[in-house]
Amino acid sequence: MFEGLRERLQTARARIGSSIQAVAAPQKEHGEAPGLPAQPLHSSATFADKVKTFVIDRELIITDSELAGALSDLEIMLLESDVALTVTDAIVGHVKRDLVGSHRRIGQSVDALVVGTLRRALLDVLGKGFDLSEYIRSHERPVKILFTGVNGTGKTTTVAKVGAFLKKQGFTVVIGAGDTYRAGAIEQIDVHAERIGIKIIQHQQGADPSAVLFDAVQYAISHKIDVVLADTAGRLHTKANLMNQLEKIRRVMKPDLIVYVDEAVAGNDAIVRAAEFDKTVGADVVVLTKADMDSRGGAAISIAHTIGKPLMFLGTGQAYDDIMPFSPHAVVEELLGDG
Amino acid sequence: MLDSLSTSLKDALKKLAGKTVVDRAAVDELVKDLQRALLSADVNVKLVMELSKAIRTRSLDEPPPKGMGVREHVLRIVYQELVRLIWTATDVKLEPQTILMAGLQGSGKTTTTAKLARYFQKKGLKVGVICADTFRPGAYDQLVTLCQKINVPCFGNPEANDPLALTRQGLSAFKDLELLIIDTQGRHALEANLIQEIIELNKLTKATHRWLVIDAALGQQASEQARRFHEAIGIDGVIITKMDGTAKGGGALSAVAETKSGIVFIGSGETIEDLDRFDPDGFISRLLGMGDLRALVERAEEAITADAVDVTSMMKGKFTLRDMYQQLEALNKMGPLKQIMSMLPLGNMELPSDVYDVTSTKMVRYRIIMDSMTSIELDDPSLINSSRMQRIAHGAGATLDEVRELLKYYKLMQRTLKGLRGQGGKFNMQRLMKRFSGMQ
Ligand SMILES: Nc1nc2c(ncn2[C@@H]2O[C@H](COP(=O)(O)OP(=O)(O)OP(=O)(O)O)[C@@H](O)[C@H]2O)c(=O)[nH]1
Ligand SMILES: Nc1nc2c(ncn2[C@@H]2O[C@H](COP(=O)(O)OP(=O)(O)OP(=O)(O)O)[C@@H](O)[C@H]2O)c(=O)[nH]1
Ligand SMILES: [Mg+2]
Ligand SMILES: [Mg+2]
Repeated sequence: MFEGLRERLQTARARIGSSIQAVAAPQKEHGEAPGLPAQPLHSSATFADKVKTFVIDRELIITDSELAGALSDLEIMLLESDVALTVTDAIVGHVKRDLVGSHRRIGQSVDALVVGTLRRALLDVLGKGFDLSEYIRSHERPVKILFTGVNGTGKTTTVAKVGAFLKKQGFTVVIGAGDTYRAGAIEQIDVHAERIGIKIIQHQQGADPSAVLFDAVQYAISHKIDVVLADTAGRLHTKANLMNQLEKIRRVMKPDLIVYVDEAVAGNDAIVRAAEFDKTVGADVVVLTKADMDSRGGAAISIAHTIGKPLMFLGTGQAYDDIMPFSPHAVVEELLGDG
Repeated sequence: MLDSLSTSLKDALKKLAGKTVVDRAAVDELVKDLQRALLSADVNVKLVMELSKAIRTRSLDEPPPKGMGVREHVLRIVYQELVRLIWTATDVKLEPQTILMAGLQGSGKTTTTAKLARYFQKKGLKVGVICADTFRPGAYDQLVTLCQKINVPCFGNPEANDPLALTRQGLSAFKDLELLIIDTQGRHALEANLIQEIIELNKLTKATHRWLVIDAALGQQASEQARRFHEAIGIDGVIITKMDGTAKGGGALSAVAETKSGIVFIGSGETIEDLDRFDPDGFISRLLGMGDLRALVERAEEAITADAVDVTSMMKGKFTLRDMYQQLEALNKMGPLKQIMSMLPLGNMELPSDVYDVTSTKMVRYRIIMDSMTSIELDDPSLINSSRMQRIAHGAGATLDEVRELLKYYKLMQRTLKGLRGQGGKFNMQRLMKRFSGMQ
C-alpha cells in the first residue's frame, strides 16, 4: 500500500546517490574498488548500476550545495506522497544532517550510505509500533479501550475490526455503543457487533455516552470479559463542548488505552487535530484507516511522527479482516527494499 | 505551524510594501512562501507549481496599475489566479432535477444529502431522497432519521442488497416529486467494481448533476480520486464538508481543478442546517491563512464609520491614553486584534509586530489598569511617574511591571502613529480601505 511513497523514495535514493557520486567521481583515480556487487555494472544502466559506484577507503566531503538539488527533489516527493510539511522538513533535515558533513569516511557503496540515511530518517519519524495483543496479555482485565477521532474517519468500523481481530486471538470482547448522537450510529454498530458475534451494550439515541460506556465496563467486570471496546461519536477538535464531553467519558470509564483514529488520506490537518485530541483527552496509540485508498501512505508517517504516538493498526478496507498491525521496520523495509 | 506560515507570507508581503518597482528577489520569496502556504493547505503539488509560476510571471511582467503599490499588485494577482481556479459558475437552479451524490467513504455524503434536501425544500421544491447505499450497516437508518426530521420522503430498504434495483424502485415511487437526491455508498478510485456501480447508477438515474463530496481535510489524494470519479460519471460540482474544523480544503480545490467544475456548497457542521453556499473570498483567505480579507475590510469600515476610533484627532498629533483606550475598545469589537491590525491597510508602514501582539486578555488587563488612572493622567501620560505608577498598580490590582508594559505599549502605538503621519502627511483610512477592497 506504500507503492507510491516507495517509488518516490527509490527515486530520491537514486537522486541523492548520484549527487554524492558526482562529488566523488572527479577524484576517482583509484578506479572501481574490488569486490563489485552481485550485479555487474554492464551497459544497460539500471538504477543499481548507476548508483553503485564504490568509494572505498576515501575521505569524502559532501557539501550542502551538492545535495541541494537532490534534497529539494526529495522534499517535493515526500510532499506529493502526503507527508506533511513539518515531517517532510524533519526527514529532509535528517538526511541533510547525516550526509552533509566534512570528511565523511566512506567504506561502503554510495547506495548503502543513502539507504542507511533514509532508513534512519524514516525510522526516526515513524516511531514505535504497538502490539495490542501483547498489551492486553500484560494488563489487568478488563482492558478498557476508548476510540476517538474526528467525524467519519472510521472509528466504528475500526472498533468492529479490532473486535474481530481480538476475538480471533482468543480474547473475549464487549463493545460499548458510545455514539448516541449521530443518526443511525447505534444501528450501525449493532449490525457490526451482531455480524462478528460480539456482545454490545447500548442505550437510546441521545443518552449520555459516559453512562453507556460505564455500563459496558461494568458488564465486562461482572462477566469477566477481557476487553471493552468503546466507540464514540465523531467530533471536530474545534468543538469545545464535544471535547468536554469526551473528557467526561474519559473520567467516567477510565480507559487503559486511548486510540486516536484518523485516515491515512488526510492531509496536513491530520497533525493539527491529532495534537488537539492529544492535548484535551490524550492519545496513546493511533490507527490510520482507509490506507487502501492511497498507494502512498505519507500521512501514516506524518501522524506517527507528529503526535509521537505509536501506530497500532492500519485500516485497509471495509471488511473485518482489512486491518494490519503496524510495524515500522517492516514498513521501512517495504519502502526502501529492492524488492 | 500554520500560524507561522501565514506570518512568513505576511512578512514576505511586507518586504514588497513600499516598493514601487517590482523586486525580483522579493517576488521570488513571496512565491516560495505562497507555495508553502498552499501546500500546507493540501493543494495538489503540481497545481501549486503551476499557480506559482503564473503568479511569478504575471507579477514580474505586468506593470502595477497606477497608484497601486507592488505589494497590492502581487496580492491582487495571487487572488485573481486563485479565483480563476475556483470560480467556475455553479449556479444551483431551483427546478426539477436529479442529483447523484458521490464520494469517498465517510466524506459526508449522507449528511449532505439531508442538508441539500432541506435546502431545496425550503426553496419550495418537492424533494425526495433515495438511499442507494445497501452496503454500510445503518446507512438507511441514518438517512431516514435525518429525513424524518425535515419531513422529506426517503426511499430505501435496509434488507436490500442490489443498489440498482432499489434505485429503480425509488425512481418510480418518487416520479411525482420534483427534486430527487440519491445517496450512494462510499467508494474510492481503486475499487473498480464500485466505480462501475456508480457508472450504472448514473446511467439509470440520468442524473442532472453528479456532485462529489470531499472532506476538507483530504490531502494529496484528492486529485487522483477526483480524476477517477470524473472519468466515470463526469463530476459537475464539488461539495466540501467539515469546514467547521481547521482543515483548509486545499484537497477540494485540487478536485475542482481536476474536474473543471466548481464548488457548489460548503458543509460546516453536523446538523441539517449547516450548509452554506460557497464564498470564494472566504475560501481563499482561509487557504492562505490570512483572515477573510474582504469581510475584514468590511468590518473595519463599519467600525470606523461608527466613529469609535477618532482617527482624525489621533492624526492631528495628540494621541493620549484615552485615545488608546477607545481604540482598544473599538478593535475589540472587530475581532482578534492581531488579525485586524495585520490586515489593516497601513500602506507602506511596517508595523512593529509587537503593536498587534496584544492578546485580548491583555487588552482587558490594559483597560482595567487604565480605569484606575485619573483623567489628567489619561490625557497626559507623561505625568505618570513612579509614585503614580504604584498607585495605579495598586488600584488595578496589577503589578508594576504590567503598568510599565502598558505604558510601553502606549509609546509604541504613539510612535507608530507618528510614523504614519510622517508618510505623506495624512492617513486616509477610508481611502486605503477602498484601495484594499477594490483588489479583486
Ligand atoms: N476503504 C476503506 N473504508 C473504510 C475503512 N475504515 C472505515 N471505512 C469506511 O468509512 C466510512 C466511515 O466509517 P465509520 O466507521 O462509520 O466512521 P466513524 O469514524 O465511526 O464515523 P462517525 O462516527 O460518523 O464519526 C464507512 O463507509 C466505512 O465502511 C478503511 O480502512 N478503508
Ligand atoms: N463537523 C462536521 N461533520 C460533518 C459534516 N458533514 C458530515 N459530517 C459528519 O461526518 C461523518 C460522516 O458523514 P456521513 O454523512 O455518514 O458520510 P458518508 O459519506 O455518507 O459516509 P459513507 O456512506 O460511509 O461513505 C458523520 O459523523 C457526520 O455527522 C460537516 O460539514 N461538519
Ligand atoms: Mg462512528
Ligand atoms: Mg453514507
